[in-house]
Amino acid sequence: MADIAFTKPALPRHGALVLLLPEEGGGGALHEAAIAATEGRLPKALEAAGFKGKKGQTATLWAPGGGLSKIVAIGLGKPADITAENLETLGGTAWPLIAAERESLVAAEALAPDFAARIGSGLKLRSYRFDKYRTKEKEEDKPKAERIAIATADPSKAKAAFAPLAAVAEGIFLARDLVSEPPNVLFPVEMADRCKALEKLGVVVEIMGPKEMKKLGFGALLGVAQGSVQEPRMVVMKWMGAPKAAGKTKKPAKQPLCFVGKGVTFDTGGISIKPAGGMEEMKFDMAGAGTVIGLMAALAGRKAKADVIGLVGLVENMPSGNAQRPGDVVTSYSGQTIEVINTDAEGRLVLADVLWYAQEKYDPAFMVDLATLTGAIIVALGHEHAGMFANDEALAEKLEAAGKSTGELVWRMPLGDAYDKQIKSDIADMKNVGGRPGGSITAAQFIQRFVNNKPWVHLDIAGTAWAYKDTALIPKGASAYGVRLLDRLVADNYED
Amino acid sequence: MQIRLRTTAPRPGEAVALPIRQGAALPEAFAAQIAAARFAGKAGTALALFTPDPVILAGAGAGVTLLDYERAGGAAIAALGEATAVVLDARGLKPAQAAAFAAGAMLRGAAQHVIRSAPVDRPAPRVELLTSDRLGAILPWHAAEASVRGALYARDLVTAPANHLTPATFAARLRALEAHGIQVRVMGPKQLRRRGFGALSAVGREAASGPRLVTLRWKGTLNARPVAFIGKGLCFDTGGISIKPAAGMEEMRADMAGAAACAGAMLALALRRSPAPAVAILAIAENATGGASYRPGDVLRTLSGRTVEVIDTDAEGRLVLADALHKARQHRPQAMIDLATLTGSIVTALGHHRAGVFGNDPPLAAALVAAGAAVGEPLWPMPIGARHREDLNSDIADIRQCAPAGSGAFGGRLLPDASHAAAFLREFAGPLPWAHLDIAGVEMRPEADALGPKGATGFGARLLDRLVAMRFEEER
Repeated sequence: MADIAFTKPALPRHGALVLLLPEEGGGGALHEAAIAATEGRLPKALEAAGFKGKKGQTATLWAPGGGLSKIVAIGLGKPADITAENLETLGGTAWPLIAAERESLVAAEALAPDFAARIGSGLKLRSYRFDKYRTKEKEEDKPKAERIAIATADPSKAKAAFAPLAAVAEGIFLARDLVSEPPNVLFPVEMADRCKALEKLGVVVEIMGPKEMKKLGFGALLGVAQGSVQEPRMVVMKWMGAPKAAGKTKKPAKQPLCFVGKGVTFDTGGISIKPAGGMEEMKFDMAGAGTVIGLMAALAGRKAKADVIGLVGLVENMPSGNAQRPGDVVTSYSGQTIEVINTDAEGRLVLADVLWYAQEKYDPAFMVDLATLTGAIIVALGHEHAGMFANDEALAEKLEAAGKSTGELVWRMPLGDAYDKQIKSDIADMKNVGGRPGGSITAAQFIQRFVNNKPWVHLDIAGTAWAYKDTALIPKGASAYGVRLLDRLVADNYED
Repeated sequence: MQIRLRTTAPRPGEAVALPIRQGAALPEAFAAQIAAARFAGKAGTALALFTPDPVILAGAGAGVTLLDYERAGGAAIAALGEATAVVLDARGLKPAQAAAFAAGAMLRGAAQHVIRSAPVDRPAPRVELLTSDRLGAILPWHAAEASVRGALYARDLVTAPANHLTPATFAARLRALEAHGIQVRVMGPKQLRRRGFGALSAVGREAASGPRLVTLRWKGTLNARPVAFIGKGLCFDTGGISIKPAAGMEEMRADMAGAAACAGAMLALALRRSPAPAVAILAIAENATGGASYRPGDVLRTLSGRTVEVIDTDAEGRLVLADALHKARQHRPQAMIDLATLTGSIVTALGHHRAGVFGNDPPLAAALVAAGAAVGEPLWPMPIGARHREDLNSDIADIRQCAPAGSGAFGGRLLPDASHAAAFLREFAGPLPWAHLDIAGVEMRPEADALGPKGATGFGARLLDRLVAMRFEEER
C-alpha cells in the first residue's frame, strides 16, 4: 500500500501528476506550472481528449514533457460539486490511474487542506487489495505505487485532518480482510483471536467460548453452532473513549452505544442446506461482525470521544449428525422459546442471544445490529441501499443522514403487527421464519422480539456487504459497508 | 347492496349495531356482557349480544380516524350471524363518521360476484344507517358510497375469470361506464398496431382476444390539467414463452387488478361528481403462449419510439405500461399514477400488507402514502437507484425490460426486480410528476378482515379517489 504524504506544491520532475480541474476552467499553481512544463501543450491536449472538467471525468496524457511519465486530469465539476464527499470519491477515481506509477503528486493546492485530506482518504480506500493468497501474480499486474504526495498550501493541517480518516480506513481494511478471508482460514476461534489485535489500540477485548455461553443460556446461538466442529465464540470489544464524569467516580458519564454483528463465518444453511450455486459467497455471512470489529478499530484508532461496545456472535452453520434440525425448539438467553423451521435462518438466532446480552449487561443508549440476514433484502432493494428497520425515529433519521454523507445508504423498511403475526409458532413463542412474503421484515420482527425497550436499528446488509464490481471507493470484493456509516453516526451525534 | 338512511329509532326485534370507541363509556345496559366477553372495542372486532334483540357492539378503536369507523362497520357486518338485516346506529357519531361506519359495512358486506349454478352464500344483508342528522349525513354518505362503489366495481372485475373477462369483454364492460358520464374510448388490436403501440401489441398478439387500450375520461368542472391513472390490465398472464410454473397460475386472472382499480377510481369520481378532471389509460391484453407469441430476445419499438429488448416475456406488465404511460403523457396530465400487479419481488420485499410506491416526485408519493393510510390501503416508499437503471442497459436496444435471470447475487437468483421495473417505467413517464404503485400481493385478501371478504380487494380504487379528493379538487 502506498504511503500518502502531504507536501507544499512543487512540480515534480518525474512520475505522475494528477490535476484536479474545475468545469469553468482555471486551476492551481501546479496547473500553471504544468502548462509551462509542457510548453503550452497541456490545454490543447486536454481539449483534444474531450476533457471538459465535468465531475469525475478523466483524461490521461502520457509523457507530456517536463520529465513526467503522465498527467492525469480529473474533473472537479461545478463549484457546488466541490464537497468533501465528492473529493473523497475523486481520490478513489484517481487511484487506478496512478497505481502503476512509483511516485505521484496530486495537485490539491487550490483546495482547502481538509479537502486535500479527503482526497488522500479516497486514494487510500480505493488502494485496498487482498492479495495474500496470490503466489504467482505477475509483476506487471501488481500496483507499484510507493509514494503519493498530495500538494496543499498547509501540509500540517492536511496531515492532521487526514489522521482520523486514515484510522477509519484502517478499520475498513480490517473489516475487508476479515470478510475476504476464506472460511477454512477464518472460523469463529480464529476470528475471535484476530479481535485481540484491537487491544493495542486500547480496546478491551473479552472472548467467550461455548462453556460460558452455555452457562448463560445462549440456547439460540449454540443451537446454530452445534453442527460444526468449529467452536462458537462471542467477542465483546469495549472502547471507553468518552470523557469521564466529574468527581472521583469512575462511572461513565453516559450509557454506552452498542453495535452488534452477525458473524456466521460460513453458512451452508445447515440441514436446510443451500443450493450449490453461489454458496461460496456465504463466506461473507460474517460481514456484520466484520463491520463491527472494523468499526471498533476505526473508533479506537481515531480516539473517538464516546463509550462504544461492539459485540459479535461467531458461529459456523454446518449440516452434520449433530446439527440442529428443522422442528427443534430452542430456548434463547431471553427465556423466549423459538421453533426452528429453517436452519438457514440462523443469523437471527445468533443475534437474538447477543442482543439480549448487550442489553442485560450494558444498558446501552441504543443498539444497532448489522447482519447479512436475508436474500429478500436484495430482492427488495438491490445493492445500493441496506435495509433499515427501526423502533426509534430519531436514531433512524441520524442513520439516514450519516448514510447520505458517507455514501453508505440506508433505506427504511417497515415493521408492524401484521408482519409479526407471520412468525407465530404453534408450539413455541415464535418460529424463526415467516415465509417468503416480506422475508426481510419478518426477520426484523423476529429480532425485535429480543429488543427490550431500547432504541434499536437493524441493518440488513446482505446486498451491500459485497461489491460485485469496482466502485470509486471500493475495489470489487468485501465492501466493509457500515464502518464509515456508523463511524459517522458516532462522530456526528455522540462525541462532545 | 344499498344502504338506506333513516332517522326512526330501531323497533323491537331489529338487529342494531353500535360503534364502541376504546376507552369511551360503555353502554351500561350491556356492562355485564361486555365484561364477561372482555370486549375492549379494538377496531375491527365485534361482539354480538342477544338481549334478546340482537345487538352488535362494533369496535371503533380509538375512534380518531374515519378508518376506525370503517373497521367498526365492517366488523359489525362480519358479526351478523343469522341476521339478514341490521340497523347501523350512528346517532352518536358526526356525519363523516357515520358515513364511514356505513362504508365499512358495505365494503365487508357487499356480495361477491360469483358464478354458481345454485346460490350457496346468503344474500347480502339489508343495512340501514340510522342518524339523528339526516341532512348532515347525506353528502358524506354520498361521497363515501361513491368510493366504496368504485372499489366494489374493481373487485368484481378482478374476480371475473379470464374466460369471462377477455380483453374484448373487459373493454365492453368499461364501455358501460358511459352511463355515469365517463367518456370511453376503445382502441382495438388493428388500431394499436397501426398507431405504433408496439409493446402492447406484442404482448397481446397471440391471444384469441387481441389487446385493447381503453381511455376513460372524467371531465370534472375545474379548469385544470387532468390527473392520469394508468393501469395494467392483463386479463390473464401465462407468462408467454417464458411460461409460468403451473402451481398458482390460476391466480393470474387477477393480473388486471391495476386497470380495475383505475376504472373503479374513475367510477367513484363520476358517482360523486368530483370537480377534478381525470383520465385513465388502461392497457388491456392477455399474455398467451403460442406460435404468434413475442419472444425473449425480440426488440420492440414502443409508442414513444424507444426500443426495448425483451428478456423475459413474463415481465409483460412493464411493456404494456410503457405504451400506456406514453399515451397518458399526450393528455398533458398534472400527475401520472400507474397501478400494476407487477412483480413477485415486491411481495418478497413488503409481503401482503403493503404495496410499494416508486416515483420521481416526493410530494406526490407522500400524498399517495397519506391517501393510502386514510383508506386502509397502506403503501411503503421504495427506491429507484442508479444501479437499478444501469442493470437495464441493453446491448442492442435503448433499454432492456428487466435484468436476465442469473445476473443477480448469490448464484444469480436474487434480483431487485420491483426496482428494475420502476426504473424501466420511469423512462417512459418522462419529466412529469409520476408515481408507480406495485400492487402485487395486495390485490387479493387471503382471509376476510374488517374491510372486506376473502378475495379481490379492489386495492387502489379508493386510494386514488382519496388522492384526488385530497390533492386535485382545488383550483391552483
